[in-house]
Amino acid sequence: MSGDNVGGKGTPNNKNVSLPMSRVKLIMKSSPDVSNINQEALFLTTKATELFVQHLALSSYKNGSGKDKNTLSYSDLANVAEGMENFQFLTDILPKKILARDYLKSLEERQEEDDL
Amino acid sequence: MASSSGNDDDLTIPRAAINKMIKETLPNVRVANDARELVVNCCTEFIHLISSEANEICNKSEKKTISPEHVINALESLGFGSYIAEVKDVLQECKTVALKRRKASSRLENLGIPEEELLRQQQELFAKARQQQAELAQQEWLQMQQAAQQAQLEAASASAAQQAGSSQDEDEEDDM
Repeated sequence: MSGDNVGGKGTPNNKNVSLPMSRVKLIMKSSPDVSNINQEALFLTTKATELFVQHLALSSYKNGSGKDKNTLSYSDLANVAEGMENFQFLTDILPKKILARDYLKSLEERQEEDDL
Repeated sequence: MASSSGNDDDLTIPRAAINKMIKETLPNVRVANDARELVVNCCTEFIHLISSEANEICNKSEKKTISPEHVINALESLGFGSYIAEVKDVLQECKTVALKRRKASSRLENLGIPEEELLRQQQELFAKARQQQAELAQQEWLQMQQAAQQAQLEAASASAAQQAGSSQDEDEEDDM
């Protein structure tokens, strides 16, 4: 996962992130209309995604209502997605993975709503 | 596991990376498999969310490339402002480290000694060291030899003395 080991001056490299930046970049580019991404912007996004994972895991765990206190279950995650405003965007992908075109469609619809 | 098809839209973060992060965040917690799968997908979703928002901001600013500013603004507007301080910190850390490294290497260059000269000096030092080592080894060898010779002499004189002693006995017998 050596990915983007940038040789540029002062630009970040892989040592400070756990997630592969090259993969993050691919995912970003598969978003509709996304053009080019500055290397530092990519780094920030990757780092933010890491924080998101930690945040999601911690919140879900704290909210755990299951019988087993030491397990993180699917429903813990689903519950936190419903409950926290920040995580509302996740409700779209619960409980099953949706088809990409459906996602794109709902994104368009959401954008239209925003534009109103 | 994840996509085997070549479809762009099935891209996700590798499961192993996510597992590792979950483990670090919740060390002694068991995590159901379908929960892990969900986290992987949430990641992808999050990335799409941020990039779409950042892209919109970028388009409005009439720039062609998404910059760090755009990402930061996107985080803010999506309610993830609390992440901003930390990501900025890490970015700064990165830059500082990279800057230090550059300074250090340029300091070395600024000694004014060209690399070939440095190399030559290094070879000289090595040769000197090798020589010293050889001399030392030789000394030790000589010492060992001397010690061995000494030991031989002592052994020889000891046995000589013993023989002398026994022949004296014989003489005495003759005289009787």
